[in-house]
Amino acid sequence: MVDFSLTPEQESLRDLARKFARTEMAPHAAECDKTARFPEEIYRKAYELGLMNLNVPSEYGGSGLGVFEQCLLVEELAYACGGMTTSIIANCLALEPILLGGTPEQRQRFLAPFCAEYHLASFCLTEPTGGSDAAALRTRARRDGDHYVLDGEKCFITNAPHASLYTVFATVDPEKRTKGITAFVVPRSARGVAPGRDEEKMGHRASSTSTVRFEGVEVPEADRLGAEGEGFAIAMRTLDQTRTPIGALATGIAQAALDHAAAYSLKRVTFGKPIAEHEAIQIKLANMAQAVRAARLLTWNAAWTIDGGRKGTLESSIAKCFASDAALHVADEAIQTFGGYGYMKEYPVEKLLRDAKLTQIYEGANEIQRTVIARELLREYA
Amino acid sequence: MSAGGVLVVAELRDGHAAPATREAIAVARELSGGEPLSAVVLGTGSAAAATELGRFGVTRVLLSEAAGAESPASAAVGIAQAAERAGASTVLLVGSSWGRDLVGRLAVRWNAAAATGVTEVTRSDGVLRVRRPVFGGRATETRRLDGARAVIALRPHAFAPASESVGTAAVEPLPDVEVPAPLRTPKRVALEAASAGSGPSLADASIVVSGGRGVRTPENFRLIEELAASLGAAVGASRAVTDAGWRPTSFQVGQTGRAVSPQLYVAVGISGAIQHIVGMVSSRVIVAINSDASAPIFKVADYGVVGDLFQIVPALTQEIRRVRGLG
Amino acid sequence: MQIVVCVKPVPEAETRLRVATGGATFDPEGVKFVLAGYDESAVEQALLLKESVPGSSVHVVSAGPGPRTEEVLRSAIALGCDRATWVELPGEAASDPIAAARAVAPALENPPPDLVLCGKQAGDDEAGLFFSALGELLGVPSFGFVVDLRWDAARTAFTFQRPTEAGAERWEAPGTVVVGLQQAWNDPRTAKLPNILKSRRAPIAKVVATPAPATNRSEAFALPPPRTGARMIDYKTPEDAAQQLVRILREDAKVFP
Repeated sequence: MVDFSLTPEQESLRDLARKFARTEMAPHAAECDKTARFPEEIYRKAYELGLMNLNVPSEYGGSGLGVFEQCLLVEELAYACGGMTTSIIANCLALEPILLGGTPEQRQRFLAPFCAEYHLASFCLTEPTGGSDAAALRTRARRDGDHYVLDGEKCFITNAPHASLYTVFATVDPEKRTKGITAFVVPRSARGVAPGRDEEKMGHRASSTSTVRFEGVEVPEADRLGAEGEGFAIAMRTLDQTRTPIGALATGIAQAALDHAAAYSLKRVTFGKPIAEHEAIQIKLANMAQAVRAARLLTWNAAWTIDGGRKGTLESSIAKCFASDAALHVADEAIQTFGGYGYMKEYPVEKLLRDAKLTQIYEGANEIQRTVIARELLREYA
Repeated sequence: MSAGGVLVVAELRDGHAAPATREAIAVARELSGGEPLSAVVLGTGSAAAATELGRFGVTRVLLSEAAGAESPASAAVGIAQAAERAGASTVLLVGSSWGRDLVGRLAVRWNAAAATGVTEVTRSDGVLRVRRPVFGGRATETRRLDGARAVIALRPHAFAPASESVGTAAVEPLPDVEVPAPLRTPKRVALEAASAGSGPSLADASIVVSGGRGVRTPENFRLIEELAASLGAAVGASRAVTDAGWRPTSFQVGQTGRAVSPQLYVAVGISGAIQHIVGMVSSRVIVAINSDASAPIFKVADYGVVGDLFQIVPALTQEIRRVRGLG
Repeated sequence: MQIVVCVKPVPEAETRLRVATGGATFDPEGVKFVLAGYDESAVEQALLLKESVPGSSVHVVSAGPGPRTEEVLRSAIALGCDRATWVELPGEAASDPIAAARAVAPALENPPPDLVLCGKQAGDDEAGLFFSALGELLGVPSFGFVVDLRWDAARTAFTFQRPTEAGAERWEAPGTVVVGLQQAWNDPRTAKLPNILKSRRAPIAKVVATPAPATNRSEAFALPPPRTGARMIDYKTPEDAAQQLVRILREDAKVFP
């Protein structure tokens, strides 16, 4: 990456997302956060404009964007509301296993009708007994003739109560650990699929999260993605693709926090001058600005690496880990800049901290990101 | 640039010269520096208007009572003819809807430089210069008009009208001029006179009175409307008011509503959130009325009244009506 | 129906205006030029008419320098315009609306359109001269301040309203007209992502125009002095406040009607 500027096409895409974010999402962000309302009308509009299913190739009706363009869009959306963005991009996470592990026939059969209309999908990996330790999942897939029977419970699944499609990771043999995990595509309409009640969350409250129980769910063999035992690899390769846009999501939240803090510091007067003229605030703003820019550039670098055909695990883990930590820190400092007003829900900054926190946890907790970074890094020295 | 005469285009309104024409006459008098002033009037009733124009210092009135002058295309033909006959090098008019629409046509037909929305006109060393607001009033530009001829449309209410003087105008009917058939085919099928209750539209009004959350209830918003009516102003509202459904979104002034740049903007019970400010900050004069002395609106206003709007606004409306003789 | 819509690239609304060195014009450095304001409404109106009259097409035309003019044409294509023509003109000529109209008129003659739609005025100079000059050059009627433009198939005529100082006018125009649009029926649509991507590859016809001699030029571009805060009125009674305010508006500010 020798040119840090955007092409006119990239600028047009970014402008589309920015306009949508500022005019459709931002006016409702506070209200949805307060009432934990799932703004389906906004998600539908995102779909209509082509802002969903970003990673699905256009031959199946998706937007067919590379990771870099996805990051440009995701940052703009997250600037307006992290929670709405999580729900909008959850489709990308759920559909990626089909792209990576599905046959051409499966891709056509699942993706084309899905993308032809407004639909939500959920990626079902995490369980009560295994989040970071995904290999410890317990959902069973028992073979019965030409189909499997799924039994188990997933938790913290984004969009689950509203999804029409689930990509589910279950094990055909718990003894085999990762080598038993298998990926399946399960429609909502299948008997025995039971999404739970919406969880009450700290942030991302416009996004819907719940458990999903699978009780004797019959899944035809034709709906299995890849071979038995390939599911864990599919899941990891999926996360390799979706990790970087989370860096962009965190960057969007961080940028919003910085913008609020900087604008406020020019208006708020204490001790006879705007607080922007107090060194304590200047140092904060300087650190915040560095963090935001670094987050963005690390994210861009990871995206460029992956779009260039490389795996980019090191780069994407660094981007996600750094950007999410930056978002939390920048939001925290933004509240501090606002002082007492920052603590009040009437002002927009405390929401940013609550939204930033999740980015350190989901799509691979930052502790795991750090072990991945160390592992990838040390390869270079071995 | 040759110093030919100035021709004023008088606009007809209800069979009389429109009041705004007097503004154009005032400017023409300055520009022509004592030279005899000509005017052109087009349309039915122009003969009656001609006599009125004489009372403001116009000495020669060219007129044509032929039908069709309400169409800018036909009017431009007639004015070009009058300009030739008057030997004018500058045509001046007020940029009303009718006036503005014909300037571009006249400029092409008569081969002249053109400017609209002009707030200042000067001639020095034979060079004509105009000043006009641009970018929604956020800046002004000064343009130099080159060439032998110029058509200038003044911004309405930007100039003081000409005072009355003793005088009569020589009236000269213009020969019928051939207007090409394609230009004659559009027909004005109706003219609904502006009713007393409806004020000017937000987009073009030179005075806007806006109300915000401070008015507290939708019924109280009539205080804003009464104040607006007393000033002949358009009515605007902050987003809080339109979001609450007290008035339709077409009233909303602000970042997601419309931007206005009138001569006078009166903000009543509006705190001055940035989203509202960007929609009105380029108004020439801003007056704010609010009970909160620290409201941000007072940072952008030119004049401020801190007080209870339920007392201030009715008093203001009454005083304005008294001064304007509205009874 | 063959519809032509003429648009102009203008600085986006949030631009911080700066004076260029020399003080004659605004500084275009770093400024983003977009399709905006009344021009956006004109494109929307053209597309609505196209959708309501089967077999219609929209030809979008813009005069100006690259790359801003080409970008604005691509925005219009992404919204749904069928073909585009870029009349290449240097910036100074493009900023004279009459010169721009002279450059554009020849590009519209083949085939002659049924309707020419423009915004009533551009977002930067707000001159409102382009559409009427174009009408004169094409030899067809022109009208500005147009709202509620419709095609009446039964009478084969365009109908529209013009709000004026005297009241609301209603017009009927059976032939080709040039319209300076004030408002379309609906909010302008947003281009969808797949169409944005397609617009990047769409062909744009290019015409290099020899600019007509300039009839006027900008000598000074000035920003108003920054506001310093309100002069607060001290009063004893509401009536006192009212009297002071009216006097100030009449005598000091000179904005009293």
